[in-house]
Amino acid sequence: MQRRNFLTRLMLAGGAFTLGPACGRRINLEQTESSEANGDLSLITGNRITEPERQIPVLAETDVLVIGGGPSGAAAAIAASRTGAETWLVERYNHLGGLWTGGLVLPLLSTHGVDKENNRRQVIYGIGGEMSQRLKAVGMSIDEINPVIDPEAAKYVIEEMAREAGVKVLYHTWCANVIMDGPTIQGIFVENKSGRMALLAKVVIDCTGDGDIFHWAGDSYDLMKYHIGLVHRLGNVDRIDTGKPGYQPMSLGEPTPVPGVGWVNMRGKDDQNGVDALTLSELQTEYRLKIWEDVQKIRQTPGHEKVFLLDTASQLGVRVSRILEGEYRLSLEDSMTYKSFDDVIGICGAWTTMLYKGKRVAPAQRPMWQIPYRSLLPKKTENLLVAGRCFSYERDLVEDGRIIGTALITGHGAGAAAGLAIKERESVKNIDADKLKKLLKAQGAWLG
Amino acid sequence: MKRHLFTSNKIRLVSSALAVVFALPLFWKGLAGLYTWFSPFILLHSVIVLKSFVWMNFLGMVVLVFSFMRKRWFCRYMCPVGYGCDLVSKYSIRRNFKLSRVPDFSKGLAIASLVAAAAGLPLFILLDPMALFHGFFSVFSGNKPFWVIVSFSGLPVLLAIHLFIPGVWCARICPLGGLQDLFGMARQTIRKTRSEKKRNSEFKGSGRRLFIASGLGIASGLLIPRYLHTSSYQRIRPPASLPSDLFNVLCIRCSNCVKACPTQIIDNNTDTSDPVAWMTPVVHFENSYCLENCNFCGRVCPTGAISPFSIDAKKKIVMALAVVHLEACLLTKRSECDRCKEACKYDAIKIEYLAEKNQMAPVVDNDKCIGCGACAVICPPFTIDMIPPEEIGF
Repeated sequence: MQRRNFLTRLMLAGGAFTLGPACGRRINLEQTESSEANGDLSLITGNRITEPERQIPVLAETDVLVIGGGPSGAAAAIAASRTGAETWLVERYNHLGGLWTGGLVLPLLSTHGVDKENNRRQVIYGIGGEMSQRLKAVGMSIDEINPVIDPEAAKYVIEEMAREAGVKVLYHTWCANVIMDGPTIQGIFVENKSGRMALLAKVVIDCTGDGDIFHWAGDSYDLMKYHIGLVHRLGNVDRIDTGKPGYQPMSLGEPTPVPGVGWVNMRGKDDQNGVDALTLSELQTEYRLKIWEDVQKIRQTPGHEKVFLLDTASQLGVRVSRILEGEYRLSLEDSMTYKSFDDVIGICGAWTTMLYKGKRVAPAQRPMWQIPYRSLLPKKTENLLVAGRCFSYERDLVEDGRIIGTALITGHGAGAAAGLAIKERESVKNIDADKLKKLLKAQGAWLG
Repeated sequence: MKRHLFTSNKIRLVSSALAVVFALPLFWKGLAGLYTWFSPFILLHSVIVLKSFVWMNFLGMVVLVFSFMRKRWFCRYMCPVGYGCDLVSKYSIRRNFKLSRVPDFSKGLAIASLVAAAAGLPLFILLDPMALFHGFFSVFSGNKPFWVIVSFSGLPVLLAIHLFIPGVWCARICPLGGLQDLFGMARQTIRKTRSEKKRNSEFKGSGRRLFIASGLGIASGLLIPRYLHTSSYQRIRPPASLPSDLFNVLCIRCSNCVKACPTQIIDNNTDTSDPVAWMTPVVHFENSYCLENCNFCGRVCPTGAISPFSIDAKKKIVMALAVVHLEACLLTKRSECDRCKEACKYDAIKIEYLAEKNQMAPVVDNDKCIGCGACAVICPPFTIDMIPPEEIGF
């Protein structure tokens, strides 16, 4: 007993002897660190703080890195991964499809355009067309022209396609900055639950929609202020008692593939800056309250008691913000005159009425239009491609440039180009347009 | 006998060919109907009624000065109508018709019209040969309804008359010729007075006739406008048009504005309820709108019924007003639409929250809207109407 006690005390003492200084050192270290970070007032100048230098772990070194998992990002990642390039996709929410799915922008517009023989035909094929086909196959898509889809089905379909292609998706992750080497983009910093980390890549595709990547990389762009809204869906819109005394018809939104669910768009306030955090927060609060009150008004109308607010979009409907000033800027004139490009990556349709040369051109008469590869290339930054609503076009084309159909087409083009650049060991600015077109066609795209 | 290269008839042939080229709705929109500017008859009416003139009127003034120095200078060297009449007269079935049997109305018409114009009514301005000529060629500018073609058949009718009564228009009716004769007479009178010789009897006789003509002119200028009041309903006119009462009488129906309009929104009025406004230009917004960078209609109007205006001034010239009918508006049905706001070049349409509808909706700012019609044209459900402003003003 005595010996055991002695040994125990000896071991405790030894432990204390070793732990004590260790703990002490640790506490000291933390104290010095915190004093460096917070205590040193020289880092604060006015209302700006200089961030101390720190070592960031590299999470992965990959071939293609896609930022943003919206329609364009998903299409780009799938297309790139299918060429055999290792592809990572960074997404801030918990699903793919961006505004199309979580943002509840359910109509896939601009699927059709008028060809030179004056026939209105489908133009969106390739990865986007495949998504559309799969949605139809699971019965979650209505209408042939500009189909309306179900958001959960689309999340599933895109997820499935990304998994099949072998895309490595990093969810719940926010891109924080770019890693540049002169004019060449090397990768990005991201932040998530694991802290700040770096992702390095040979080709980066900016599918953020707001052009965050080319903005940080220092490229030139046009910041457009536009309508921002918040979409919501109503449930039980088919369970209206029209015989009830005091009944009057209410607007219950557009039909969706799910019976009884109405889709309610919101155009929202005009002239809003989509890349200003305070604006977005204010609008979010305002719209959430307004939508709730609107739905209560509907529920208080006799006959509408069973209608309920099914869900609101997971993000604000920022229609457009930064628009790249790239190697080529598409214009309304290009879209109206069947302008053809040697480096065409896809063909888009149109969905809304436009005035061209003083004349009204209705959607059913609007020509299909080509998108050149150059409109995805920023002027300054190397190894960067831009797809989605922030690719390069003039403001007069904004109604067609910002649409999900266009995002799918530009995303597919950018992804295929990135894959080709990896395969050919070329910079994205130097890849051969004919090889790119061949690859796109092999992937199912339609180039006219 | 050596034939001179530049006989008056040959020059007139070239001039007539040019006149046809400018009168046809082909190209040079800004020069559409150039020859209407050469008519001193139109020029004098415009200046007398509006008490102002524009740069293009110098063309007419030059002709006026020439016709003062040389007898009927315009008729001899330029007039395409005169050339046509002479050409047809050659093939007349009554070659030996004695023109002296027809009394000369031309001077009387000219002076009565000008005097009436001073009293506010350009009485016979529609008889100007350039007006007839240019009106006729507007028929070629596309699908014109039957009544428009009939109304503009003045020139072919005139030429047809010459098959039966050769030379009657130029020598006996044409008020433009009569005007030139008056100027020629004025020159003669000055010369005679200088040499202090006795006036000849011919002039005395015509003096009495001209006195009667001017008396009739001033009486009609004072009386007729009372009965010409257009109905209270206003039409949408091209921008910078005169008020309807004056517009209807000063417009010579040359259709220059119809031909010049690049978007073809100006058409001839065929509304039978108001005969005074028959064939005057009216604007419709079915396919297109009034372009923000165009002022051709003001530039080509030879009478000033449409005043010339600058592109800058256009922002303030009200031609109509937009009225949005919200019942059919896509935006109030929560569709993705603000085409009207995007189309508006004058910042006159705002998307605002309407509390009573609990909806965003387009709202027209009547102070900024000039009525160009772009919103009405682009509106997908055609739910925007353009209405005439209560008062056309600029």
